[in-house]
Amino acid sequence: MIHIPRIGIGGPVGSGKSMLIERLVPILAEKGYSVSIISNDVISKEDADRMRTNLATNGKLLPENLVIGLATGGCPHTAIREDPSMNLSVIEEIETNHPNLDLIIIESGGDNITTTFSPILADYFIYIIDVAGGDKYPRKGGLGIESCDLLVINKIDLAHMVGADLEIMKEDAVKIRKQKPFEFVNCKTDEGIVRVVQHIIHDVLLDSIPKSLVSQRV
Amino acid sequence: MYTSIDDIENELTIMQLSDSFFPTGIFATSNGLEFLFYEKNVRNVHDVLDLVVINLKQQIGPTDCVILGNVIDSAKKGEINRIIEADNMLYASKLVRDIREASTRSGIQVVRCVSEFVRDSTLLRFRDSLIEKKTHGTFPVALAVCCNALNIKKENGMIIMMYGFTVGMVGAALRLGIIQHFEGQKIIHSVKPVISEIVREYSKVNSLEKIWQFAPQMDIIQMSHEKMDSKMFIT
Repeated sequence: MIHIPRIGIGGPVGSGKSMLIERLVPILAEKGYSVSIISNDVISKEDADRMRTNLATNGKLLPENLVIGLATGGCPHTAIREDPSMNLSVIEEIETNHPNLDLIIIESGGDNITTTFSPILADYFIYIIDVAGGDKYPRKGGLGIESCDLLVINKIDLAHMVGADLEIMKEDAVKIRKQKPFEFVNCKTDEGIVRVVQHIIHDVLLDSIPKSLVSQRV
Repeated sequence: MYTSIDDIENELTIMQLSDSFFPTGIFATSNGLEFLFYEKNVRNVHDVLDLVVINLKQQIGPTDCVILGNVIDSAKKGEINRIIEADNMLYASKLVRDIREASTRSGIQVVRCVSEFVRDSTLLRFRDSLIEKKTHGTFPVALAVCCNALNIKKENGMIIMMYGFTVGMVGAALRLGIIQHFEGQKIIHSVKPVISEIVREYSKVNSLEKIWQFAPQMDIIQMSHEKMDSKMFIT
């Protein structure tokens, strides 16, 4: 069976996971990469519905049926780590029915203490936090912040309003994450988003040409 | 008293498959309980217990358990076509799309998981049939094939399935805040005689033609849950 590269995007409620996806997908689509999105939602299918409307129905960037909401019974951590059965089943269905996709994005809510994706589920893990939690957030660590492949710090425009010092966040992120990367972004203005896309294309897609362009060349 | 090491290992295998830690994805289902909660039709431990018992007596016992028992018998003989026939029958009997899909997704993952640590020719043939899309992989059928591969008797297979269902419902009720943790254990304890009776009654039914289910209100509740705009659980 074909394996489509998968990214897990985790983060606390309100940190901007869905907004990040909404910013990433258009840039990836412009470069020719086809994406499917699975949204593991704690409360509702709201995020999946919003992404479906913005990216599929209005944006025409992907088919509506490739934005999938998955209820997790109030256990999003379980659904992406100890028992990813439902996510894996949905992914298998996607891989069977849409083998030409370049990337599957799996979104899940989750706090910084426990959130991590099963390596069987996601090849690459992005954890997103925002400055509103205070500049202490990166140094508090936890599985999410420490183990992710890329740490994204969102809403940097709000830093001065909430008394968060970006320099402290940067120093702490360097210290706690050792050699692993992190990026400051503002999903409202797209600041820093291209750098996140570059990480994805380089680290996950291994700079490969989008499948749609490969088939055109052939 | 245990007579052999095999007995102990067999009990441990039963515990392994019954454990909520065993990856089936079932923790995400509420079987319509969430809808009833928001409609304020389930308010306390008694309501949850009633709901569990109705599901066991009117749906899971006469249909899922009978299918499971018969599939274990068929698996013992390597009758893959009979297993697929049972799978088709059960898939067709699940009226609610969300439940049908959750059942097959769980079933497929159980087969994948057990195939990782046990070798059995019927299990492998069933897994190949799933890969080739020749069968659906409903949870009771998949569990039965796995039970046979692990040398678990059909009575114990039924217990595993009904215990898993009960714990799943109790877990959903706890997370929704309908009951407290001691009440959850009280429900599980109260359900034991019901499970016992169902095993006694349906382990003897050796024909797929005799399956039945009748819980129209539950069907409607589950369909209503499926259509909820905002929900935490798979139906």
